Amino acid sequence: MIGRMMNPTIELNGLEVQLGGRTILHGLTGVLKSRAIGLLGPNGAGKSTLINTLLGFHSPSKGSARVLGLDSHTSGKALRSLVGYMPENDAFISKMSGVRFVRYMAEISGLPSNQAMERAHEAFVYVGLGEARYRPLGTYSLGMKQLAKFAQAIAHGPKVLVLDEPTNGMDPPARKRLIELIREIREASDICLLLSSHLLRDVEETCDEVLILRNGQIASICNLVEERRANRKFLELETIGAEATFTSTLEGLGCECAVFSNGRIKVVMPDSIEIREVFKAAADKGVQIRRMNHRRDSLEDIFLNAMEQAGAQNGRI
Amino acid sequence: MAVYKRRYNAYTGSLTPPWSRFFVLTRYAFADLFKSRFFVLLLVLSLVPTLLFASYIFIANNKTAQLLMQLRTAGLFSVETQYFVIIMMVQTQAAFLLNCWVGPVLIAGDLTNGALPLFLSRPFSRADYVLGKFAVLGILLSAVTWVPCLLLFSLQAGLAKGGWMWTHLWMIVPIVLCSAIWILMLSLLSLAVSAWVKLRIVATGVIFITFLVPAGLGEMFNAIMGTYWGRLLNFSEMFRLILAKGFRERSGPLGSMDWNEIPVPAAWGMLILVCFVSLVILNARLRARETVRG
Repeated sequence: MIGRMMNPTIELNGLEVQLGGRTILHGLTGVLKSRAIGLLGPNGAGKSTLINTLLGFHSPSKGSARVLGLDSHTSGKALRSLVGYMPENDAFISKMSGVRFVRYMAEISGLPSNQAMERAHEAFVYVGLGEARYRPLGTYSLGMKQLAKFAQAIAHGPKVLVLDEPTNGMDPPARKRLIELIREIREASDICLLLSSHLLRDVEETCDEVLILRNGQIASICNLVEERRANRKFLELETIGAEATFTSTLEGLGCECAVFSNGRIKVVMPDSIEIREVFKAAADKGVQIRRMNHRRDSLEDIFLNAMEQAGAQNGRI
Repeated sequence: MAVYKRRYNAYTGSLTPPWSRFFVLTRYAFADLFKSRFFVLLLVLSLVPTLLFASYIFIANNKTAQLLMQLRTAGLFSVETQYFVIIMMVQTQAAFLLNCWVGPVLIAGDLTNGALPLFLSRPFSRADYVLGKFAVLGILLSAVTWVPCLLLFSLQAGLAKGGWMWTHLWMIVPIVLCSAIWILMLSLLSLAVSAWVKLRIVATGVIFITFLVPAGLGEMFNAIMGTYWGRLLNFSEMFRLILAKGFRERSGPLGSMDWNEIPVPAAWGMLILVCFVSLVILNARLRARETVRG
C-alpha cells in the first residue's frame, strides 16, 4: 500500500522493445498513477508486448518500465512476486483438475501446500466454478477456461492483477459476471489492476485510467475519473414551454445554455449545480422536460479521438 | 476469500522459501507419474535385477546356502570389480528405458497448452523450472543406478570378510561419477526432446534416434576417413569407455577397450557436450513470451 502511494502504478521511461529485429514499442514515456489501468489499442498496437515487458518476459532495448517502483528488467523476480497474471491465450494443463491446477500455481507462487489447497478451492467457488473444480481442465468450455485462468491469477493474493483480454470467448452473462468480479476485487482490496482489452466497455467498466496504444506508440493517456467528472454536467434537454425564461434562469444559476429548434437545449453546468436544480427551475417556469440526455464523452469517443489524432500526426510525419 | 463469504481477500499468510519452490514441480510430476500403472510396473522391473544381484551376493557370501543348493564349484561366486561393472551396465540400461518413458512428457505437457507463461509470471525462473523437471529424472534414475549399486556394495561389504570393503572402497567413486554423467546426459537430453516434440511416442523415438543415428554416422565417418574418432558420436560406447576406465576394466562385460584410441577425457567431453547442447535447446524453447502480433 505504501509502495503504491509513493510510486506510480506504471512508469514508462522511453521504453523501446525490439523483437526479431523489429521495433514493437517505440520509446513509450508516461506515468500512470491510478489503481485500475486499462490498456487499449487495435490489434498489433503492442498491448501484449507491453504486458510481457512489464512482466519481464521481454527485455527493453532502450529505456525502462517500472511497476510500483520496481524495474521490470532488473527487479523482475521481485516484481513477479507481486503479480497475478491471466494470459490472453490458452494456458493450462489439460489433464489436471481445475482445483489442482490452481493449487499447483499457488504453490509455485510460494503458498504452503495446505494454504494453496484452501485458496484454490476458495478461488474456484469465488469465480463461480465450484461445481466444476474436480473436472479436468481439458473438458472446460472456453468461458470456463477463462474463469479458471482468472482463479489462478487471484488465488495467491497478488498486489498487481494483470489481465490480458480477460473476457475473450465469454458469453454476455459470463462476461458480466467476470467484470463484476474484477470490480469487486478492485474495491475490496488495495490491488492494482492492469487490464488489456480491445473491448472498450470492459475497460470503461473496470478502469480509472487508460493508456491507448497505436502502432507501438502512446496515442493517449486518459484519466477516466477526471473525464467522467468533467463531463458529468453536460445535458441535452428537449423541452416544451417557456424556453427563454427557463434558459435565463439556468444562466442565472451559472449554467451555459445553447438553444436549438424544437425546444432542444444544451446545458453545460458548473460543478456546484446539481441536476435537481434544473428540474426545480423547469417546474418554477412551467417548462416540461420531455427528454433529458445526461451525455458525456464515452470511452469510445476518447478512443476514436486518440486514434484520429495519432493517425493525423503519423500522416503529417 | 473464505468460501462462505464469497468475497476476495488478499493472502497474508506465510510463504515457502524461494529456493525450495522448484521442488513443487517435482512433487506434482511424481504424483502424476505414480498414477500410471505402466510407470509403476516399469519402475518395479527396473529394480528387479537389484534383487537378483543382492541374492547372488548373499549366496556368494553364505557357504551354508551354497551347500544347500549343492553349488560347490570353487570360484563360481565372485563378487569383484567385474560384478559391479555388470550391475552398472544393467542398471544404466534400465535407467535409459525408464528415462525414455518418463522424460518426453515432463515439459511437453506444459508447452502443449501454453502453461509456461503461468509458471514464469511468478517469482520462478526458467532455471527453477528446468531444475524442477530435472529433479524428477535425477531422483528417478538415481533410484535405479547408483543408489541400488551402493546398497549392493554395502551388502557385499557387510557380508564379505577379510577387509573386502577397504580394498574395494575406490569403487564408490566410479559408481557415483559414471552414474552421474549418465543421468545428467539422459535427463537433459530427454528434457530437450520434450521441449521440442509434444507427442510422447515420437519423443521416445527421437531419444532412440539420438543414440542410434549419430553412432551410425560415426561408423560411416570412420569407414570413409579410416579413423576411429567417429566413435565419439556413439554416446553409449563413450559411456562404456568411461565406465571401463573408472572400474579399471579393459575387457570382460564391457568388451575389449583400447584406451589409446579414444582418450577418456574426450569421451567425458563428448557426453558433457551433449548436455550443453541440450541446455542450449532448452534455453531456446523455454520462453514465456507469447505471440507478438502485427
